[in-house]
Amino acid sequence: MSKIILKTNKLNKSFKSGTQEQQVLKNLDIEFYEGDYTVIMGSSGAGKSTLLYALSGMDRPTSGAIRFFDAEIADLNNDKLAVFRRKNCGFVFQQMFLLDNMSILDNILASGLLVSGDKKSIVANAKELLEKVGLTEMIWRKFPTQLSGGENQRAAIVRALINKPRVVFADEPTGALNSAAGNSVLDVLTEINNDGQNIIMVTHDLRSARRGNRIIYIKDGVISGECVLGKYVSGDKSRHDKLKAFLSEMGW
Amino acid sequence: MINSKPSCLKWGGKVKKLWMHAIANIRKSKSSSTTLVIMFLVAALLLNSGLLVVINYGSYFSNLKQELKSSDAYFAIPDKIYTDKVKTYIDKNEHVKQTQTLEGVVLEADILSKGEEKSFPIMFTNIEEKREISKWKYVGEHLPSEDMSVYIPDIFKAVSGYQLNDKIKLNYKDKETKEEKAITFTVKGYTEDVYFSSTDTGYISFYLPQDTYQKVKGIINKPENITHVVFTNLDNVKNVPSIENGIRDLVDLNSASLMAADPSTRLVVIDVELIQLARCMMATMISAMMVMFAIIIVIVCLLVVRYRIINSIEEDIMKIGSLKSVGYTSRQIILSIILQFSLIAGIGSLIGIALSYPVLPVVSTVFEQQSGLKWEQGFDAGVSGVAFLILLVIVLMIVLIAARHIRKLNPINALRGETTARKYKRNHIQLEKAHGNLPIALALKSVLQNIKQNVMISVILIIVTFFGVFGVIMYYNTTIDTKAFAEVPGMEICNAIAVLNPEKDQLETVKKIEKMDHVRKVQYLDEVKVKVEGMEVAAYVMDKYDKKETKLVYEGRYPKDNNEITLAGILAGRLNKSIGDTVTVGFGENKEHFKVVGLSNGSQMGGLNISILAKDYKRLNYNFKHQSLYIYLEKGTDAAQFVTDLENKFDKSMLLTAVNFDKGMEEGMASYQKIVAAMGLVMLVITLFVVTLVLYFVISSSVIRKKRELGIQKAIGFTTYQLMNQLSISFTIPITIGAVIGTLLGAFYTNPMMSLSMKSMGVMKAGFIVDPYWIISFGVATIVFSYLLSMVITWRIRKISAYALVTE
Repeated sequence: MSKIILKTNKLNKSFKSGTQEQQVLKNLDIEFYEGDYTVIMGSSGAGKSTLLYALSGMDRPTSGAIRFFDAEIADLNNDKLAVFRRKNCGFVFQQMFLLDNMSILDNILASGLLVSGDKKSIVANAKELLEKVGLTEMIWRKFPTQLSGGENQRAAIVRALINKPRVVFADEPTGALNSAAGNSVLDVLTEINNDGQNIIMVTHDLRSARRGNRIIYIKDGVISGECVLGKYVSGDKSRHDKLKAFLSEMGW
Repeated sequence: MINSKPSCLKWGGKVKKLWMHAIANIRKSKSSSTTLVIMFLVAALLLNSGLLVVINYGSYFSNLKQELKSSDAYFAIPDKIYTDKVKTYIDKNEHVKQTQTLEGVVLEADILSKGEEKSFPIMFTNIEEKREISKWKYVGEHLPSEDMSVYIPDIFKAVSGYQLNDKIKLNYKDKETKEEKAITFTVKGYTEDVYFSSTDTGYISFYLPQDTYQKVKGIINKPENITHVVFTNLDNVKNVPSIENGIRDLVDLNSASLMAADPSTRLVVIDVELIQLARCMMATMISAMMVMFAIIIVIVCLLVVRYRIINSIEEDIMKIGSLKSVGYTSRQIILSIILQFSLIAGIGSLIGIALSYPVLPVVSTVFEQQSGLKWEQGFDAGVSGVAFLILLVIVLMIVLIAARHIRKLNPINALRGETTARKYKRNHIQLEKAHGNLPIALALKSVLQNIKQNVMISVILIIVTFFGVFGVIMYYNTTIDTKAFAEVPGMEICNAIAVLNPEKDQLETVKKIEKMDHVRKVQYLDEVKVKVEGMEVAAYVMDKYDKKETKLVYEGRYPKDNNEITLAGILAGRLNKSIGDTVTVGFGENKEHFKVVGLSNGSQMGGLNISILAKDYKRLNYNFKHQSLYIYLEKGTDAAQFVTDLENKFDKSMLLTAVNFDKGMEEGMASYQKIVAAMGLVMLVITLFVVTLVLYFVISSSVIRKKRELGIQKAIGFTTYQLMNQLSISFTIPITIGAVIGTLLGAFYTNPMMSLSMKSMGVMKAGFIVDPYWIISFGVATIVFSYLLSMVITWRIRKISAYALVTE
């Protein structure tokens, strides 16, 4: 049995809109395991991103507990969550959210130097990762506005990895990309998962979801189903069929 | 048939839409609009107040002169020397067109003023004596006279607080018996006249009913207290010195110092230009500074407006794109921006102008305390209208210039936001190579990437810090160390003056004085009248100048050898002479050539004064004998007590009079010191206020513009404090640069600026103390204050949520 890396206990999240309160996550109990590439799916408004950001410390739950490895993070204040996030979490957003006013390399170093003062090793690590994702020196000297969506997203993945996070959280990482760029990003994510990186990804894209070994389906704020696909193998039609069947069962 | 709206209605409808856009934009950015309104309020308040004082206060005095038919000069001639010869000389003088003489009783008296006894040179005059020229008038309410009633100058109400029916007690010492005496009057009203209503120059007049006047004359009962005031209208007021000199020649007077002369022969001559200078000088200086400061604030406002316009265009680029795409022309969009900022500037300016009117009485009271002029300013539509228009027109110009590139904006590109994405060309401060910690490196990056904004901040800080330092220097010199301020009039500063009988052998007396307790030093310094290149001037005469304590020479030196002369700067300018040139100095029939060895500050006789050696003057005036002995006491010695000791030690045959110089200086400078100190403080406060407003404006706008960037940084793990520090450091850098430059400029250029503004007072080169500790402390305090303020303003970053950013 794989080690539990993340666990929630009666996780609730609601949002206030005027006098109305809308409950998005309802008493969620869920576990995430080491080495998994977990994909969270569901229809629009189901609570996927809400769950992702609660798990990653980007947002605080209304009630309930979240155990992230050894740490209880549900009650941490904003600054403590920020410190927690920088050391333990890597983020890959749909909009990339790279800083436009600095080069790709600087975007990564800004994240890396936040945690470690060892500039030499951070820089070396950053360059190595950039090369690994297929970004050459010519590219990492450029500004994000000078690169394509795929290049930016791969740079964002490097930023997410620079501090050797315990979990990479990806929110629709291919949502803003064309299929070729999207595939290149998914290849990178698959590769790092194969190297042992824990990934939790939200997506509503079938092609992206296939990359995961475990699919969790959320509906109306509760887990309505789970499916284990096993490790991704390119061209494995059976996984694709299994996923489709599962999603069909979920009403997707 | 198609009905179409008349064009005027169409036009009205379009303007209404543009107006709605302008209002919506103002509402959208409430805090920055409010900040701008406040800045314009301050600018308009200062500008309107300054203009009203510059334009109306100056003309107020001119109008008063006309109203009261003031003469060109008056000669207050003690009864002892008011001989028939003198009377005839004046009446028959070729320059004199009209005269009017009245009798006055003079008395040097101490009067309680705000809890302190102050000395005033009072002249009692009879209210019933008719005047054709140099009239006087009541100011405000006055009551009918009774026994021992007095009508006093308005300054005694404004400064000393004497109300109607209050008792006013004049304490004086009988010069012969040394007995302390007093006369008490009841205040029945307040007066204004051109010459005798201020405490700065000549006498101050107390008007008495006829019988009270006779009574007072009987009480005082000393011939030396009777003076004859001869008001004269001349062909040219510049001829006053020649007439004065003529009188002095006639009665053989060789000293012109008001303070150091025997009262029985003290001739007081004041002309209308001098009285105008004395009574309006402070107001003129302050109003000029108000206008100058207002201009600075206006410039700061306009820099901020331009910055705001450019930013708001950037922020609203998509909205502008959508407006263009639905058919709004560039002209209409620019017009809505004009309406927006005109409204902001208009509201701020109107409130500022309105507020300047209640503020003016405060300013007027300050002037009144120094000049005795009760100036009341009502609403002046002309001046206020001009102030309002100036601000609006300048804002309009700035908007047109800043918003002009809207014309070139392509709607499609604007809608896509392509034009908002700044095209960064250089990656300043590469983190790979940067030294120092991450927040500092990121702050430096930000500084270099926002170079235009930071140049603006630096420029604003240079300007306001410059004036802040100016304020610090003024405050320091009028409150902490007043030595330099005391030197402004150009007098030698001692503690007491002994006026000795020139007909007697003074050697022993001088030795005795020198040996008295607490006496540091004594030296002769006399003031006489001579002619330089045919021009009447005052001359300082000393045996040696190396022991002079108040060094007024700003170029060259004092005379050391025979036939050397130092000219006051104004005189040198008039004669077109400089160091190395030769001038002719004459007294009576005697003339000699003197070499100019130095130029000095000094306002005596309107800046027409010189310094020469006593031995040289003695050759020109064989009868000259030293008379005024300047006495310098140890620090902390009570000059009043010393003067009493002096008077007790020597009888009147040798010691004609003893003057408490400390007291005279203190009383003379007090009102100026208070005003300048207050002005310095106000400038400091306004500096801090402007810095606060500008920083609040720029930093708040920056936080809003950088919301996305800050959200991303939060998402990747920067804490609120780290981001606050990063932003604050990035602002502190241009602030520091601006503050350092402004402080240095203020330290180096305050004296040249003061020289320029005080030139007419004979101060060619101001020497105010620029204390480095105070200046540096001010600069450091500005920087620290700005950093702390930045931290407070950036505290709002805590509201920027990484989650909100990613889920938007």
